[in-house]
Amino acid sequence: MHWRSFPFLLLSLLGTVLAAPPSFENTAIVRTVELGGAVVHVTTTYAIKATQPGAKVYTIAVGLEEKEKTSWLQVKVKGQQRELDVFHHPLDSSRNFHLLDVTLPKPLGLNATLNLVMDTLQTHATFPWPKEASQKDEQALKYHTDLFVLSPYHTAVQRTKLKAPNPRIISYTVPENVKDFTSDTPATKQGATVTYGPYNNIVSSANKEFIEAHQQRITAHYFHEQPVLEITNFQRAAEISHWGDNLNIQDNLVLHNAGPTLKGHFSRLEHQSQAYFKRQAPHALPALTLHLPAGIRNTYYYDLIGNVSTSRLRVAPTAPKNQRANRYSTLELRPRYPILGGWNYTFTLGWDAPLSDSAVYDKSSGKYIVEVPIMTPIPGAVVNKAEVSIILPEGATDVEFSAPFPAVMNRISTHKTYLDSTGRPMLTFEYENLTVMHSQNIFVLYKVPLAAHLTKPFVVGVAFFSLFALAIVARRINLTIHKKAKTL
Amino acid sequence: MPTAYPLPTNLSPATVANTASLIRIVALALISGAAIASRLFAVINFESIIHEFDPWFNYRATRVLASKGFYEFWNWFDPTAWYPLGRVVGGTVYPGLMATSGVIYNLLHAINLPVDIRNICVLLAPGFSALTAWATYMFTKEMKDASAGLLAAAFIGIVPGYISRSVAGSYDNEAIAIFLLMFTFYSWIKALKQGSALFGTIAAVFYFYMVAAWGGYAFITNMIPLHALVLILMGRFSSRLYVAYSSWYAIGTLASMQVPFVGFQPVKTSEHMAALGVFGLLQIISFAQLVRSHVSSQQFQRLLYVGVATIGVLGAVAFAGLTYKGWIAPWTGRFYSLWDTGYAKKYIPIIASVSEHQPTAWPSFFMDLQFLIFLFPAGVILCFRELRDEHLFVIIYAVVASYFAGVMVRLMLTLTPVVCVASAVALSTLLDTFVDPTESEAIEDNQNENGTSTPPTNGTNGTNNGTVATSTAASSKKASKKTGGAAEGMTLSDILAPASAPKTKPRGIYGLDTRFMVIFNTICMLAFFVSHCTWVTSSAYSSPSVVLASQNQDGSQHIIDDFREAYYWLRQNTAEDAVVMSWWDYGYQIAGMADRPTLVDNNTWNNTHIATVGKAMSSPEEVAYPILRKHDVSYVLVIFGGLIGYSGDDINKFLWMVRIAQGVWPNEIQEPSYFTPQGEYKVDDHASPAMRNSLMYKMSYYRFAELFGGGQAMDRVRQQQVPKVGPTLDYLDEAFTSENWIVRIYEVKKEDPLGRDLKSANAFAQGKKRKRTRPAVRRRAVV
Repeated sequence: MHWRSFPFLLLSLLGTVLAAPPSFENTAIVRTVELGGAVVHVTTTYAIKATQPGAKVYTIAVGLEEKEKTSWLQVKVKGQQRELDVFHHPLDSSRNFHLLDVTLPKPLGLNATLNLVMDTLQTHATFPWPKEASQKDEQALKYHTDLFVLSPYHTAVQRTKLKAPNPRIISYTVPENVKDFTSDTPATKQGATVTYGPYNNIVSSANKEFIEAHQQRITAHYFHEQPVLEITNFQRAAEISHWGDNLNIQDNLVLHNAGPTLKGHFSRLEHQSQAYFKRQAPHALPALTLHLPAGIRNTYYYDLIGNVSTSRLRVAPTAPKNQRANRYSTLELRPRYPILGGWNYTFTLGWDAPLSDSAVYDKSSGKYIVEVPIMTPIPGAVVNKAEVSIILPEGATDVEFSAPFPAVMNRISTHKTYLDSTGRPMLTFEYENLTVMHSQNIFVLYKVPLAAHLTKPFVVGVAFFSLFALAIVARRINLTIHKKAKTL
Repeated sequence: MPTAYPLPTNLSPATVANTASLIRIVALALISGAAIASRLFAVINFESIIHEFDPWFNYRATRVLASKGFYEFWNWFDPTAWYPLGRVVGGTVYPGLMATSGVIYNLLHAINLPVDIRNICVLLAPGFSALTAWATYMFTKEMKDASAGLLAAAFIGIVPGYISRSVAGSYDNEAIAIFLLMFTFYSWIKALKQGSALFGTIAAVFYFYMVAAWGGYAFITNMIPLHALVLILMGRFSSRLYVAYSSWYAIGTLASMQVPFVGFQPVKTSEHMAALGVFGLLQIISFAQLVRSHVSSQQFQRLLYVGVATIGVLGAVAFAGLTYKGWIAPWTGRFYSLWDTGYAKKYIPIIASVSEHQPTAWPSFFMDLQFLIFLFPAGVILCFRELRDEHLFVIIYAVVASYFAGVMVRLMLTLTPVVCVASAVALSTLLDTFVDPTESEAIEDNQNENGTSTPPTNGTNGTNNGTVATSTAASSKKASKKTGGAAEGMTLSDILAPASAPKTKPRGIYGLDTRFMVIFNTICMLAFFVSHCTWVTSSAYSSPSVVLASQNQDGSQHIIDDFREAYYWLRQNTAEDAVVMSWWDYGYQIAGMADRPTLVDNNTWNNTHIATVGKAMSSPEEVAYPILRKHDVSYVLVIFGGLIGYSGDDINKFLWMVRIAQGVWPNEIQEPSYFTPQGEYKVDDHASPAMRNSLMYKMSYYRFAELFGGGQAMDRVRQQQVPKVGPTLDYLDEAFTSENWIVRIYEVKKEDPLGRDLKSANAFAQGKKRKRTRPAVRRRAVV
């Protein structure tokens, strides 16, 4: 796209949104927010009705703050598996909302209806309040969001549900100035759910006027019983070896407990008595259970000063070919110390897996296809920054890759290890704000000629041979000055 | 010629020689393998981890060297050690060890082998132990023959006395020093035997390496001159000695002065004066020899008297004058403690407080050397029988090292090589005698036979005779001198036969049964030795001491990892410049694992600083607090073993802290006040007030009794019941306690923002009423 055409494009887009008569109408919008720790899952269901025949592109509006928080987004037709194409409009500083175009599977006829479901995962959306908690205290989080789901179309009825993990909600905002839309109580709490609405007859809300007049912020303050985990830095190196039929994966993680910081000091006595009475502080993380692939071997788990001797691993055998691998090796890893609010812990986790589990050779193109998982899912944790490096065999050519979602940055470089002479191509992908949903696979395709396979044995062989040859020659050279040196 | 068992006769000597050499190479390779393998218990039972205390510093320094290069390392000033003084590391270490690892690291990385620097450090000692075995083989070969050499190599490969300092992970100077020691000695012997300047230079180069690697180089600095001096006094001065010594001393000394930590010590301190003196003496003697060959003997006599007298007087005066003026440093405390075992305890408690500086207990000789300790004297006696120049060396070495090993546990290490050499000589002589198939014939006429026997590998027994027993010692000595080579040794029966033995009665070994019995016995002894070494190594010397192991109820290994837990907590969750105070034992570990500044560490160069820490630990809170604040201490770390019975904890070391503090502040800290009136060291209800109020006691037992939930709290190390109401802390606050309570970390509170002292601030916070007995103080404060 040329820069010169950019404003025109923008204008035309704006035109379609604002000037043209709306082609849809929302019969209902229901937004469900599942409040959590580091990750908040938001499901918005749009029941849409076409007001013009042949409408194919539906536009969704998202508040700026929400856009900022959202790390993963997916739109589907309700009840269908297929993901719909989503086009993100470029950000426009003059608007305080963001627009996305969803291409429907087929154009809708006049008055035809469809249910669209938008799933998003929000990261860094909650924060601990109070900011400090002592070892005995509970952990409470706050979550902000906007009251109204914005839409460029007219909405008949709209609801927002905040689902807390347990019924003990400390407080929630009761919105004011919503008389235009409802005559009932604007917010009701039932069990662990707070429902805002139903609000009726909302005009097209994706515009400045509506937002300034009606949009307001709602807050929920609730107890959360699991520690809030953040992986501030995640580095994965996946090294492919055809000689060893091995895929080595090594992760370096920096773990941070993003819950309320520990007030006062850590008392082991307190901690031990809590563990004894099975009333663990909700913001302390004593152990972490991870699912690693099946069939792995040589698993190692260490930090900067050596092995962490407290972890346990149960390895599941590799699933047979053509069967879905639904078994996992389970690693129960206990950090050296319980991680309380605000504490950090860094560690390295690595394993070897049979390459044949994740690689195939395509005979028609002569290429290897290897799948490398982007990350090991850590339940409830968000990965702030991730760097995934895939190290291909020495001499690999024609490298292609297919990533499930675009990276912030990716590059290719050369990496030298284990007696390499020319070095190995290394693909590096950088990501931000990854969640469980992002633990998908990158597929890498490459060719390795036979000569490249044989380079290393050849080089090492030549090196040894020349060493021996040198020794043979050296033994036969006589450097003594006097022939009879031994007469002394 | 009767033989006890048939020998093949159709072998060519070349075949025999080739086979023997192949077997030697294979044997040496196996010995190296065994030496490395037996040191890997620590890695297999635990992990690839650096052990104990000093190795952590070496490891840290090596990391700096590997990551930043040699020049950066050379100029490294470490501001985090000895806070706030800092330490000039480059100038106060023996860099040989780190340089070795650094070179290996760079070599491996040059050929793209990405080996972690930690693994190089961990495996350096086992690797060098293989080299030590080889060097010992070479050395012993010079003493007797290759078979003795192989035995010696096998002994040094697995003997616990050496393993104790060279298991995988024990990354200390001794790890490479013993190899350097043995190789320097080997080159010296070789140089002396051949009069070779080349080997003298090699000895000097390895001496330099040794100087760069270990403070124990002074042992070589004095051993070689002592050997030379003894040779001179025995009238064995020769041009070979002159060439060997001069080349070693001149090059070695100049080279050793290149190490910054050594600097001008070789010409300034008393420890090095012997080497210089012998060097001078050699010059005088050889000059005298030169003069003697040019002047008549009468003139020479006169010259000699005058010369010796003048030089002697001049030398003595110069030495005294230089010492008096301070040009030559007097003997250091560590040196005195070698002669008077009670000296250190009286004057330098820091040295005495280290367990490895204690005198050796008798059982540890057996533990470390097993049956070698019995063979050792026999080997030394065998050296006397032959008494070539190199045998003298072994004898001197044996005497000197035996003494030192008795004085200090850690010097057992220097004794071990000579024990292995001497025992190997003895055992190989025994085996030579009994494996040798020749049987003496009862012939009357055996006077003109000489008394050597040929090792069975020789295969040519046609020239041999069977009159081993009847030959005299003199003749055997002559014979072996004549043949001179390593192939010809002396047999045990030579020794057994006294010079005045009746010449008519033939002696010797007949038949297979005697041979079988003795050899079987020997093999059993060797087998027991191997199993003993394995057992001692695996059970006593392979614990990293950073990680402790215990057994679960089902017999599986349970790892107690409290040290690393606490250190890693410090590393991850405290400010990077937070100063940690602990007793000096843990200084290197804190610097290495927690990466935080420390007040004192295992490089105990500043007694006052250590005494300051000792004083803070043994004083009440109010007294300790200003000391802590003045030193910017953020955290105080103590080791407490009372919960799980870890006996090496700080309460057990506490008396040394008190003693060292008392040495500097005799008026404030007195050792007796930490004992009960009955003179007992108690931590229970009867503990003395000074003990109870001391910071160390409070930090160790803070909230300990509460753990027992009202039951009687028991200190499992001291087997005493601690008071139910535990100590309270006003100036410190518990920050972290490890899982088994071994490491407890306390944060030093900042001054109260309202200007109260922390004690009353604390009392106020707890809602206690202020006692009405202190108005006077307040009034004065207002004025």
